[in-house]
This record gives sequence, C-alpha cells and structure tokens, in this order.
Amino acid sequence: MFMMRILRPLALLCAASAWGADSPAEFFELKVRPVLAKNCFSCHTQSKMGGLEMASRESLLKGGKSGAAIVSGKPEESLLMKAVSFEHERLKMPPNGAKLADEEIASLREWIKNGAVWPDAPSAAKSKEYVLRPEQKAYWAFQPVKMPQPPVVKKVAWPKTPVDRFILAKLEQNGITPNAPASPTALLRRVTYDLTGLPPTPQETDAFLADPSADAYRKVVDRLLASKRYGERWGRFWLDIARYSDDKLNSTMEEPAPNAFRYRDWVVDSFNADMPYDTFVKAQLAADHMNDPKLLPALGMYGLSPEFQDDRVDVTTRGFLALTVACAQCHDHKFDPIPTKDYYSLLGIFNNSQYKEYPLAAKDVVSTYEVKKKRADDEEKSMKDFLQRQGDELAFVLAHRTKDYLLAAFGRGPKDGLDPTGLDSETLERWRKYVKRKEHDHPYLAKMVAAKDGDGLEKLAQEFESLALTVNREKKEIDEKNNITLGGSQKRGDLSQANLASLERDKYFLWRDLYGAGGVMFYGDKKIDRFLSGEWKRHLDMMRANLETDKKAVPEKFPFLHALADKEKLNKQKIHVRGNAGTLGDEAPAGFLTVLCDDNQPKPFSKGSGRLELAESIASKQNPLTARVMVNRLWQWHFGDGIVRTTSNFGVLGEKPSHPELLDYLAAKFMESGWSMKAMHREILLSAVYQQGNAENPVFAVKDPDNRLLWKFNRKRLDAEALRDSMLYVAGTLDEAPAGQAKPIDETNHKRTLYGYISRKKLDNLLTLFDFPNPNQTSEQRVATNVPLQRLFLLNSPIMLNVVKEMVKRLEATPEHRRIEETYRLLFSRAPKPAERQLGDSYVARGADAWPEYLQVLLSSNEFLHVN
Amino acid sequence: MLKTRREMLQTMSAGFGAVGMADVLSGATTHFPPKAKHFIFLFLNGGPSQVDTFDPKPMLQKMHGKPSPSGNLKTERKTGTLLGSPFKFQKYGKSGIEVSEIFAKTGACIDEFAVIRSMHVERPNHEPSLFTWNCGVPLPGRPSFGSWLSYGLGSINKNLPGFVVMCPGIPTVGPQLWTSAFLPAAHQGVHIKNDEKTDQLIPYIAPQRSAETQRRQIDLLAKLNHMRPDDPEINNSIESMEVAYRMQSEAPQVFDLAKETEATRAKYGNTNFGRGCLMARRMIEKGVRTVQIYFGNFQPWDNHDDIMRHKVLAAEADPAIAALIEDLKQRGLLDETVVLVGGEFGRTPSVEVSGLVNVQNGRDHNNHGFSMLVAGGGFKGGTVYGATDEFGFKAVEKPVHPHDLQATILNQMGIDHTKLTYRYSGRDFRLTDVEGTVIRDILA
Repeated sequence: MFMMRILRPLALLCAASAWGADSPAEFFELKVRPVLAKNCFSCHTQSKMGGLEMASRESLLKGGKSGAAIVSGKPEESLLMKAVSFEHERLKMPPNGAKLADEEIASLREWIKNGAVWPDAPSAAKSKEYVLRPEQKAYWAFQPVKMPQPPVVKKVAWPKTPVDRFILAKLEQNGITPNAPASPTALLRRVTYDLTGLPPTPQETDAFLADPSADAYRKVVDRLLASKRYGERWGRFWLDIARYSDDKLNSTMEEPAPNAFRYRDWVVDSFNADMPYDTFVKAQLAADHMNDPKLLPALGMYGLSPEFQDDRVDVTTRGFLALTVACAQCHDHKFDPIPTKDYYSLLGIFNNSQYKEYPLAAKDVVSTYEVKKKRADDEEKSMKDFLQRQGDELAFVLAHRTKDYLLAAFGRGPKDGLDPTGLDSETLERWRKYVKRKEHDHPYLAKMVAAKDGDGLEKLAQEFESLALTVNREKKEIDEKNNITLGGSQKRGDLSQANLASLERDKYFLWRDLYGAGGVMFYGDKKIDRFLSGEWKRHLDMMRANLETDKKAVPEKFPFLHALADKEKLNKQKIHVRGNAGTLGDEAPAGFLTVLCDDNQPKPFSKGSGRLELAESIASKQNPLTARVMVNRLWQWHFGDGIVRTTSNFGVLGEKPSHPELLDYLAAKFMESGWSMKAMHREILLSAVYQQGNAENPVFAVKDPDNRLLWKFNRKRLDAEALRDSMLYVAGTLDEAPAGQAKPIDETNHKRTLYGYISRKKLDNLLTLFDFPNPNQTSEQRVATNVPLQRLFLLNSPIMLNVVKEMVKRLEATPEHRRIEETYRLLFSRAPKPAERQLGDSYVARGADAWPEYLQVLLSSNEFLHVN
Repeated sequence: MLKTRREMLQTMSAGFGAVGMADVLSGATTHFPPKAKHFIFLFLNGGPSQVDTFDPKPMLQKMHGKPSPSGNLKTERKTGTLLGSPFKFQKYGKSGIEVSEIFAKTGACIDEFAVIRSMHVERPNHEPSLFTWNCGVPLPGRPSFGSWLSYGLGSINKNLPGFVVMCPGIPTVGPQLWTSAFLPAAHQGVHIKNDEKTDQLIPYIAPQRSAETQRRQIDLLAKLNHMRPDDPEINNSIESMEVAYRMQSEAPQVFDLAKETEATRAKYGNTNFGRGCLMARRMIEKGVRTVQIYFGNFQPWDNHDDIMRHKVLAAEADPAIAALIEDLKQRGLLDETVVLVGGEFGRTPSVEVSGLVNVQNGRDHNNHGFSMLVAGGGFKGGTVYGATDEFGFKAVEKPVHPHDLQATILNQMGIDHTKLTYRYSGRDFRLTDVEGTVIRDILA
C-alpha cells in the first residue's frame, strides 16, 4: 500500500499514431517499456511485489503468486491485461486506482498479441548504475540551509522575535489573527512544565506575578534553563529517539544492561551543559575516536543497540537525518534517492564496529577483578570435573549390582536370586521409586513390572543389568566419537550443524534414567560425599574450601560503559541482493549517502570503520538535514507538532514543512549559535507565538482545524513522566538526589520517572498506560490517549494512593480552612473559584475520610492532567 | 465543532473502552459486512510437527530410516534420515480428513476446520517466525494482530479489554508479541497469567475504595471538569472514568471459572491450556474481540530430541481445543468467531542429528511446510487446503504464508487488509506489510 502515491501514469509523450513501429523490438521500446517503467517497475523489478518480477518476457510468463502475468499471443487470457483494465476482482494495477490511459492499455494488448517480444538489452539489463534524477536532488530537504529574511507583516505590534514574523505572515495570508496572550499564571505553568516537566511552586508563581520588570518572563526562562531539571526533561526526549532501555530484548530471559544508566545520565548532563549539538551527535557515533574520555558514555547509543540487523542504520538515519535509509536494504528506496548501496555503505561502518565495554576503573582494579574472577571460575570447573569423574566411577560400580537392586526393589528375596549383601539403602530407595513410576520412556522394565512369581525374574533382572552396563559403555563410546567429530568444539554453531551419532531412543532414555543428572545411580555434589573417603574426600573438601575463598575474593564488578570500538580486522561490506545475506552483490565501500555528497559521489571513508567520518558528515554545517531535523524536533517538543510533522522522515513520504522559511531561519540560527540548544529554546520561548493563549475560535477552527498555522497554543496532556513526577512533587516526596542505576517504578521509588527501569522486554505498567514509546526502535512522537485503563490507575494504583497519603501529611500544617486553597495553588498554580471552593467545602464536610478522597479527585482532574 | 487531527486520532484510537464507538461492527466502519466478530488464536508455541498431527505422509512411514531421496532442506540444525511418525492416523468426520491419534478429539470435530497443509514462513527460527505470525514482519516494532483488530474494529464490550493474551508465564519473545507498537497504547494486548487471582488480571482493577465512595468521587470530578473552559477532552475523560468504574465489578467475573460446572471444567481439562481455552470462551461470550492463548511458557512444542513428547502435549491441547469448538458451536458463537490453531512453524520429517540433542528421535524446526487449522467465522469446515511434498517437508501445492492467512482472517472480520493502515513516520503500515492474498477457497 505504501507505494501508491507515486505510481501515477503519465500520459504518453506522443500520440500512439505518431510512431511507426517497424519491428516488435522497437514497438516494445517505444510503446511498452515506457509504460511498464513508469507504472510497474518500481514494485516489480528488484522488490518483486506479489512475487512478480517484470524484468523479461520469461519472468512475465513465469508470473508471481497470482499466476502467469501474460499468456503470449492471448491478451484476453493475460492477468496483466485484466489487472490494468481493472477487470480483475482483486488486482487493479497500478494500485493507486489511477488507471492507465486507453492508448497505453491498447499498446500492451497489441504487444502481448504479437508475442510479447522483449528484446535483450544487455546494456540496460546489466547496468546497475544508480541514476539520481535532478528533480530528486532538487527536493527541498536536500537544499543548503540559507538564512531567510523574516517577512514583512501588517500587525507590527505583535511580533516579539523574528520567529513571530514568519508565523504572523502566514496567519495574515490566511485571514487569521493570533490568540490573545496566555495569562501570566498559565504562561508560567506552561513554560515550567515545558522546560522541567514539573509545575511551578506557589512561591514561584507569586514571585513571577509580583515581578513588575519587563524581562520578568525572560528571567524565568533563564532560571528554568539553568535548572538541572531541564536536562532531565529534555534529555528524556532524546532518549525516545535513542530507543534507550535498561535491558536487552532477550527472547527467553531477563538481561539487564547494568551500566546503561551512564549513557542516560550523559544525555541528561549534556543537555544541562548545553553541549553543542554537533559534538553531541559526533560523540554518540564516534566518541572512541575523539580523544576525550568524558565523551565515551555517549557510545551507549550504539552499545545499547537492540542488535536487530537494521537497527543501527535506522536509528542513525532517522534519528539524526530524518531519512528512512533502512527501507533501502532490499531494494533502492522507493521514494527517496537512496540506493541500496547507500544502506550497505552505512551498514558496513557498523559491521566493522563491535560492542566493547570500557572499564571505568583503574587498570589494577580491572586486572585484579579479572585475575580473581578467573581463579574462581577455574576452581569451580576443576571441582565440577572431579565430581563428574567420581560420579561416573560410582555409577559404574553401582551398575554392577543392578540385578540385586532391581530384585530388592520389586520386593523379591533370595529365592528369586537376590543377594542382599551391601546394598546401599538410598540407592535402593531410588530404585523402588523408579520401578513404581506409572510410565517409563523405554520398554525395558515392562516385562518385570508385569511378571508374576515363577516367571524367571532373576533372568529378567540379569538381562536388565547387562543392558544397563551396555548402555553405559555405548554412551561413553558415542560421546568420544562425537567429540572427535566436533574437534572438541562446544560452540553452539558447531554443535547445531554437526552430524552426530547417538544412542537409539529407548537406550538413551534408559541411560538418562539410570546415569543422567537425577538418575537412579547419579550422585553429584554433596550427595556423593558419603561414598568418598581418605584422600578423595580430603581433596574434595579442600577444593570446596578453596572455591569458597576464591569466590569471596572476587570484588564486585567494576563499573563500565556499554560502548563500541572498531574491529581490528576490517571486512569489506557487500550488498545483500534483495536483502538476502546469502546472495552477495557488489561491494559497498564505507561512505556517506549519495544524495548528500558533492556531485553525488561519496568519497570512501578511510579511517578504521569510518564511524568518525560518518559522524563528521552528519554533524556538519554543509549537511542540509542535521540542523533542520534537530530544530524541528525542538519545535515539536515545545508545540506538540513539528514544522515538519513527520519529524523522523523528511523524505518524499514525510510531510512538507508548514513554515519552510521559519525552519531554515531556525536551522541557520542554530548553526550560527554554535549549535546551542539553549539558544534555540530562547529563540522559541521568547516569541509571541509561544506565549499566546489557547482559547478556541470557531472560525479559525474551520480554516485551520489542525492549528498548523499556530493561531492558538496546543493544549497538552501530561506524558507518563510528567504525570508521575508532578504527583510526587506536589506531594512533596520527589527525591531529586542522583539516581544511578534504574529501579522499578513502584510506590517505593521516589526518583523522577526518567530514572525508572525501562525494559525492552516488558515495559512498566504505568509507562505503557500513558503512551510511553516502544524502546525497541527509535520513536519520534508520543500519542496521548484518554482511556479507562488510565482511569483505573488514578482510582486504584498504589502510586496514586501513596501520593494522596503524602499530600494529606504535607497539608497537615496548613489550617483547615486554608487547605483547599493551598491545594489548588500546589496543583493548579491558582486559587479556587468560589463555585469550586463550595464544592470542595461540602465534600470535605462529610468527615475525616473525605479529605483524602477529595485530594484524589483533584489529582485526577483534567486540569492536573493537562497543560494549557 | 470540527475535530482537530489530534482529537480525531484520540477518538479513533481509543478502541479499548473506546469513547463514542461502542459498536463499530454495526457495519458502518468495516470495509464490508463482517462474517466474524471475534478471533481466538490458540498458539501451540514451539512448533508442532505437521507429520505427527494433521499431515499424514505414508511415504514417510515407508522410507523411515532411509535418507530423503531429494535431500533435506536447510533448517536451523542438522537433520539426518527420514523419521516416520510413531502415531497412527485415521479418517474422521464426514469429510474423512485424516488426523493423528494424539488429536483424536480435535479429529472428532474436524468437520468444523479448514486444515491448511501448505503453510510456510521465511526462517527456521522461533523469534522471527513468532514475530511474523503476531506482528506481520520478522522483527519487533510493529503492532500485533490483536492490536490491529482492536484499533480497526473497536471494542464490543467497553467494560473489558479488546485484546487479551493468556499464558501461564510468558512465551519466547514475550510481551513484544502483543505490543501495540506505534498504535495507541490502548490497543495493546492485556497479558493475563492463567493462574493469577482474578482481581489482578487487569492492572489496578481491584477497587481500593467502596463503590459508594468512588461514585461520590467520580460525580465530584465530573462537576469540576465541567467548570473548565474550552477543554475538548472533558467528555472523553468523564466517559472514560465511568467505564473504568464499571470495569472494576464486571471484568473479574469473566475470569472466574468457579462459575462453570465441574463437568465443563473437566471437559477442557484442568491444565493451563484447558483453563485458558475455557476463559477464552467466557471472554468471547462477554464481547472480547481477540483472545490469544499461548500453550505454555517458553516453547513447549519444540521437541528437538523426542517426538514422543508430542503425545504428552497433545493430551493437554486436544481436549481443550475440542471443548472450545463444541461450546462455541453450541452457543451459536462459532459462526462469528474465527478460531486459529497452530504454532510458529512445523518440524522436519527428517530426524535431528545435531550436537544440541542427546537423543535422535526428534525433529528440527521446519519453516518450509507445516499445517494450521482454522474454524468458525465463515471458514469452510471439513476442507483440506494445499499440500506438502510426499515427505511433508515443503509446501508444494498452494503455499500459504501467514500474511495470506492474516489477510483472510481480516477479510472475515470485514476488513480489507490493504486498507487497515496506520500512518507512522510518513509511511502507512499494515499487518500484512506489502503482501497477503485472501484465500477464497477456504471460505464458506
């Protein structure tokens, strides 16, 4: 479905009759190939949609999933004709519903009727040269960023900053006037939430209202940008892009990444320090090449990759460049000028990089840990080997008394041949239990179980004993043989592909039941002790003692970074034809995206994996995307929608910018400011458009229902983090001390939500409920739903009830008659209106229990859950 | 007042307890009149063997112990000579479809099932195949089948989730298999452990205050919310809270199996899967859109080393499947419920000989050919569709990919699979990616 937009049949350049087609080949080239090329090839050559490849006469005769595409000489029977004439029930091609012109259909019919001649065109068929068309290069997003002149506006009094003139000019063109400014309290609440994810305190509100100076608001912006809460709010936005998590998506078990938080904290700190965005980008891609150890945690962006085949290319190109390069892994990108080769050029860079843990401890600490850990591991292994050898020996010995154990287990006596001397009672007990099992996975005991007196039990038991000895021997021989086949390897990959021998099924289960772990004659650690004596026992005790000492001596593992390094041996990346790793195509040397290179000629990267060069190509003023993409994200995080609403896709399928000049203005300013994000925040926050109210207007709502022109400020629902943080904050229990390693988000955790445990495997309930994005891939925007499950959280969750309890405590000191007022100031930054006050008074008057119930209601109200 | 894009999105997306779309199945919003309203996916996770269950292969029996004349196809691990099934097949029902003795009860109702014997997926590995069946592509990050249905069709009973997933713990891969991904979170599957207490099944469902108190609180909340000027979310919030309030009393009852007779419980079997199937029936009766039951934790049907394990597993699966079909039919619900049975792939007809097994009486994963069963919801019962080769290795006749079956099931639910899309990051996504053909031959 996603190919539909560009498949628009173009009218033939010339009328059909103008061309005299002398030969079938010429007819094909003039009348048929152009039609196929324009309408069919984008889906039916390399990418073979529906299994149909339209590359030759043969491939059409072969057809796809729906059968042969053509029947030579019989257009009326050809699926292709049914599809293009829209006569087929399901297949109507091209799939966008725009039928081919009648002349085009007639040409196809004529061509099939005449035998569907498709001349070999060696030059065309073999040429894989990717052709970048001029109109593709001319696409808006690939043009250099130029500082535009802010437009002239009529309502000259409104604009506070150049940003406003871009906005106002568009509004005026559309006959829309901007909203009145937001009230000072609303504005303070908005900007405080916006920059810190928390509401203003009553004191902050009072101070702002009492500040008569012209730059009162500017001072607030400065104060908030200087707060460490700023990085905690804005760093988290970036962590959505970076698909941050505290664990790995392991399909069978929990697999935490214990030092992931160091990357998270680096992001938060970088926002707070206003690290230039170009450095911020470069560090995440290539800090290991930047000679600044402080930047190394940045590599967590890739060190914590979910390790899906296209993840690293995807997060790089969508995250930094808003291009969907991963779409080009099986075929040239269908819409954007991104050849498959570009995907593999980038993939090769990451394939030549590998996961590496950088210790954050002195060398001797690391080596001490490693030496001691190894000693403990070795000791453990040698003890295991010893136990196994002794266990084998013991089983071998016990097996020679199988007949007697069996007879005893069946309750037989000496008259049936039992020699009871020296039978071990525990082993006998095990045999008893074993023979009593309802079912056995082998048939060898069935006869004995069914046997009556006089059935020659001794003989059966003797036979069983021989079998037991045989399988023991055979198993050893087979293991030996297999070990030789495997060359001693125990690697999973080798094991899975080996052609090995085994005991036959029934014998194996007998072996398992008698000798395997938990088997009748199996004695492992501890259990075996009573069979050992003298030197053997002393040796085992010594090994145990040593192991315990050695294990205790291993210090806690030193902190480290989940990061990347170049591989020592670099490989040449080849294209996977149609995305299939088994079919290798041309080499794709490490390099940047074709369309972003001068003359469309990528220069091969030459330093190591090429990551640093890639980073420099992205974090470059010459790159038309990087600055635009980031300022657009900043705009989105302030206003709810970006200037380009598809913030991670600036390609043809993305949306066009609503204010292209504004986007360029911001991008140019961004680079001029030395890539300062705080400078950009000021550009935006000091504007009139940011400071306007959000009153509705029925006329403008018809003209611009999506508010693309920004005639009002968009109301926002608190996201999961802001919601929980605000609850803890107003209750006075938010713990803002450094968080360190992530902990589960439950009622005992009082850290900010961004410090909670983010799982790729199973995301926390609260986060899930309130629309936190899936951390398995880069996410550009959050949705805000309003559903009953969220209300259940507000009604019944321990977090909510705990917050209510804490609020009750917090307000105990306030005289009763002032509590409602104080609560409103804490929660909503304002005093209650008389009607609200009255509702509150009459509810609370019900008794002592009513007060916490009332607080819970206010914490669940739309006013608390939204920011105006 | 016209809705903004954002508001439209919110309204449209609120499938679970969706506000203002109580019963979209009345017809207006489906692409064509639906045959089915519900979908039950009984997932025999691990990969049940087709040649031991629903795809009898006489040639395999004859050639037991001999190498396959055409060679073994590449699967995850090394396999050796052909391994005949230790189980007997016999004909069942009017259709005379042959079913293995370990699925005798399912065999007895085989006339309700279309048996597809020509399934295939791309890879012989659990994770990508699980993703393909559940999310339409072999990688994480896409919405799950149940999430799409919830998003596309909304809920029937606003007081219950639209998509419930049951498993005693979690299957291989885990919650990513019922994620809503970029669809609004409300469409995510609600994961329920079969043995959990009924009041813990939905997060925060257990009321912490008396109904009377909650009523008073909610009334006050509505009054306060109404005092806000220009808030387009007010009605949604109020309605949402009302639904939540009612869910607290209604939802836990659905999961209370004590309300069933001893005989009924026995019929399903007192097993995880049996209880899951019985709860599935109770949920469908109450209007849950999609129920998915994972047979067990991790991947129980993954019998690499001993195919005899299938007998033990089938003893749990078989009665539960049969009882569910019987009960749905008896209640007139089978017509409007699609029941899909099967695993992520099949198993090789050749014996696994790799170093990862101790005993060579089992089968490796087989992505090239396997069987799925589908009943109810306008599917043609008593039909066999497609075929594997003479040994049961590869689908050779009318191959069916999960995309095709997904398209067909969506079709029965009134949805054109090419049109149920969601625009995300500049692209329209859908369950069947860019593939999928409705298989008309298995529809009644």
